[in-house]
Amino acid sequence: MNLDILTILTLVPIITGLMLIILPQLLPKEMATNLKIITRNISMGIALAMFAIATMMFIGTIGNVEWTDILHGEYVLKNEQFSLISSIGVQWKVGADALSFPMIWLTSLLIPISMLVEWDAKRGHIFHPLILIMEGALLGVFVSLDLFIFYVFWELTLIPMFLLILLWGGEDRKYAAMKFFIYTFTASVFMLIGILVMYFHTTPIPGLGSMTGHHFDLVQMSLQDNLIPSEGLRHFVWILLLIGFATKMPSVPVHTWLPDAHVQAPTAGSMLLAGVMLKMGAYGFLRIAVTIFPESTIIFIPLLIFLGMASLVYGAWVCMGQTNLKRMVAYSSVSHMGLIFLGIATMQPLGIAGALFMMFAHGVISPLLFAVAGAFKHHYHTLEIGSMRGIAHHSPYLSGHMMLGWMASLGLPLMAGFVAEVAILIAFWMSFGWLVMLPALTLIITATYYLTSMQRTIFESNDPNQGILPDTLHGENPRDVTWHENTGMFILGIFTIIFGIFPFIFWDMMSVWSTQFMTDIMIDAMENVNVWSPSMDWISEVFK
Amino acid sequence: MNSLSDISLELLIPESIMIIGILTMILIPNLGDAKIRIPLTNTSVPVFIGGTRFTQVNNPFIPSIVAIITFTLSFFMSLIMLQGAKNGEIGQIMEVNQFTTLFSLIFTSALLMTSIATFYRMPPKQNPEIPQDKDTESSASAKIRILMNNRRQVDFYILLLMVGLGMCLMSKSTHLFLLFVCLELASLSSYVLVGFYKESDIGGEAGTKYFIVGSVASAIGIYGMSLLYLWNGNLQIDSLTSSWSTMENLDPFAGIGVGLMLVAFGFKVGAAPFHLATPDAYSGASSPIAGLLATASKAMGFVAIMKILLIITSPEEGVEAYWFIAIALISVITMTWGNFAALTSVNPKRMLAYSSVAHAGYMLAAIAAIGSGLGDYNSNVLIITALIFHLTILVLFKFGAFLVLTLLENEGLTHNMDGLKGLTRRDPVIAISMFIFMLSLAGIPPLSGFLSKLLMINGIVNVSAGTGSVSSATVLTWMTSVNVVFWLALSIVINSAISLFYYLRVGLLMFFEEPVVEGPLAKSIYLRITIIACAIFTLLLGIGPLSESLLEIANEAAQSLL
Repeated sequence: MNLDILTILTLVPIITGLMLIILPQLLPKEMATNLKIITRNISMGIALAMFAIATMMFIGTIGNVEWTDILHGEYVLKNEQFSLISSIGVQWKVGADALSFPMIWLTSLLIPISMLVEWDAKRGHIFHPLILIMEGALLGVFVSLDLFIFYVFWELTLIPMFLLILLWGGEDRKYAAMKFFIYTFTASVFMLIGILVMYFHTTPIPGLGSMTGHHFDLVQMSLQDNLIPSEGLRHFVWILLLIGFATKMPSVPVHTWLPDAHVQAPTAGSMLLAGVMLKMGAYGFLRIAVTIFPESTIIFIPLLIFLGMASLVYGAWVCMGQTNLKRMVAYSSVSHMGLIFLGIATMQPLGIAGALFMMFAHGVISPLLFAVAGAFKHHYHTLEIGSMRGIAHHSPYLSGHMMLGWMASLGLPLMAGFVAEVAILIAFWMSFGWLVMLPALTLIITATYYLTSMQRTIFESNDPNQGILPDTLHGENPRDVTWHENTGMFILGIFTIIFGIFPFIFWDMMSVWSTQFMTDIMIDAMENVNVWSPSMDWISEVFK
Repeated sequence: MNSLSDISLELLIPESIMIIGILTMILIPNLGDAKIRIPLTNTSVPVFIGGTRFTQVNNPFIPSIVAIITFTLSFFMSLIMLQGAKNGEIGQIMEVNQFTTLFSLIFTSALLMTSIATFYRMPPKQNPEIPQDKDTESSASAKIRILMNNRRQVDFYILLLMVGLGMCLMSKSTHLFLLFVCLELASLSSYVLVGFYKESDIGGEAGTKYFIVGSVASAIGIYGMSLLYLWNGNLQIDSLTSSWSTMENLDPFAGIGVGLMLVAFGFKVGAAPFHLATPDAYSGASSPIAGLLATASKAMGFVAIMKILLIITSPEEGVEAYWFIAIALISVITMTWGNFAALTSVNPKRMLAYSSVAHAGYMLAAIAAIGSGLGDYNSNVLIITALIFHLTILVLFKFGAFLVLTLLENEGLTHNMDGLKGLTRRDPVIAISMFIFMLSLAGIPPLSGFLSKLLMINGIVNVSAGTGSVSSATVLTWMTSVNVVFWLALSIVINSAISLFYYLRVGLLMFFEEPVVEGPLAKSIYLRITIIACAIFTLLLGIGPLSESLLEIANEAAQSLL
């Protein structure tokens, strides 16, 4: 079997991560001690190599792919057919397109940065390999084109994250880890039933599924006309899938695991959780639910708008009342994820491209926010917003990063988040008219809580030369960020600005893909069902 | 009539090996230098039985070694028979096919693991001292206890071999009478094995309770069988099947008879409401025996249930079996009760017992899906494949968990979760294996527990998802039109979510709490190898070529059952 590049990208981190954990148990004591010392360097080396491969794939050095030419339904860098459990139709099938590639690149970028930010983690000989395993599982979700493998990787991401929260988390970590695991696992077993119903409506393809006559191949499923004949069942399956994906995203009302998990998780865990794991929900929703059941998606547009709007408004509203920095950032993630649902609900190429870019931009910005929050926890031992003031005086670098991150997240122009927000709002206006006032006005709330928390933390001390330090320092001198935290945050900040000024780096492939996606799938579906459009005539009457 | 020479003994090699094992175990410890003097002469002829034992056979480890060798041999013989597809009938009461051979494999592997575990769990003392007159009362009684401990080795392993013999023959029998006799042989031996936990007071209590409830269940089963006999005049499974299929209306004798027999088998698998003795028996028995009850004994119950429900009273396509609603209800009650009870258990063995009750519920749900009569032959085979696959891999991860408890039991800490506390610090390899077992029990991919649960839900969804009306345009109309079987799949899903709580709690204890006892666990090298092998196979059978070949074997077995 010729190993293709995506398989290598997925399996190498998992295998090396496992080896780095297991090897010290088997080696003699002295060698094991030596190995433990250099474990983090090896992990970082592998993570950087993965990032280099992903970047070379992007430039075209590997695979020679022209990313802006990829239309919906085409997958590049595919592997040769290789069946894993052929009697029930499971095969190893990977591929990338414009929907998954930005996520793949983002994952491979965030892994070395999160390792760097927690370079000095306790028990680093387990910590860094666990993050490597996490990388493999996350990449596996984005590259797999077989629903069985997809589900396996989907659940596999839980285990390293569970252990990361459990072993390196805050005081209430047990509760948070259990809640995280049970919440998301429960949701994804509902998704599993949906997948199984789809599985039982597939027609056989030769050489696969000798025992059952069905297969898990996602590409074949999306090609099959009318996968599930019964319309009611189709909607039911769509809802089962939505339960799984919306919980991962997370959307109100199934978001409550997120703040707990974030507050207790170690910094690197939070960065990966917010940066990539939340995007798994949006990715899966677009890849499976919307692609295979476009008509159900159109029928349930009001539900999507309701969920998106509820997450957006409620998340932002709750943020204003938070006193814990990390909790606030976590709720702001909920709020931003709401925009993704709104972008999909517009059923405009611009809206879907905006949702895709939102996934990407939020994946760059939110790790920066969590790195800042983690640094506060690390150096000031507290996350209470009111307890420290005028930090800019003591930690100028940290304050600078905080300012950049906070500004990027509230949607300042020339930063990555702005592009996505504007695209989604324009598309929303095109589809639903004056209803756009609701999400647009929510951005004011966003600005309010970000600016308030920033002002109270890094400025606003009464003495120009002396900030107010929290009690948790016990009179120690406050420190600024360490070099590795500084570097990590700096890289993220740079990328935030780069993708704000030159969004077309990824925007082009996304917009080509989503335009094609609309014309291929959605236009047909829209002809079959009535598209919901809000009756907003009375507003236009008012404005006349 | 068949004479003994007609019976092809080569089909019964595993059982013959066990019988030889029992004989050896009785003979070897009794070998000695006894001689008999021929009358009227002075020449003495050695007879080897009795007298002073030879030093070689005086080793108290001999019974366990004999048991391990016997089970290993019959395991490999079953494996060879499975490979060579050696099938055939024996007399008119037994039949050997892929199904029975696979189950022999399951039983012998579970028993092999039990005997390896007890090798360390109840070690006899080499060269014990005999009490002297000058001993104080307490030291004399201590010495007597050691002597008794050595003596009971033979009893224990003979009972273990009896269990194996009963189980293997039971899976092969095609006559209800033989089936019941073999089942009772295995059951009665296992009641005594439960009571064998002599270090603790609750061992005897648990054994007695298990025995009383079990014999009541058996009595009810025999009553049911007598009703069946009254109805048909013959207990041959073939003849019962043909009478059942030609029966026009449900004969009350037949219906009640099958129902009563289900009580007996429901007790064996631990289905609610007949499961109440199960947690007491598991927590009272020593861990290897509890593991045996949770895997082999349960597989035995399921073989019996499959033979009764799926062969004799098998539903025709499109016709609901008369027991369908009852089994569906029992399955939902069983899994829910098991999971909720496990949530509150503080004894790890009780927790595993309730989790095994919950798993019985999942499997009964799969049987109910066949009973709905919605599926055709192929989908029924798929469901039975899932059942067989589940029962096979259960030996790996459920027994694996009990083996870990066996390691801990030497410290006397299995009646609460204390022994598991801080296990990662004391013994990371064992702790990680235990974590893998727990995740597999919860059904997390890519472990084998996930694949079996997936196949089971798969089978249920397969037969039921197509029943909803095709014309229904909204979710609600579809939900009202779909067959009730579909909701069994959802109840399995919700229950596995509940079960995560207590499986993960074990992980929390191992990773977090301060250890109650410091220092590494006992060495027990073979036990360790077995545990690690179980963990590795739990991983390997979840995905990849090995799981594929096991699936194929299970599929063949399922086809030969129907």
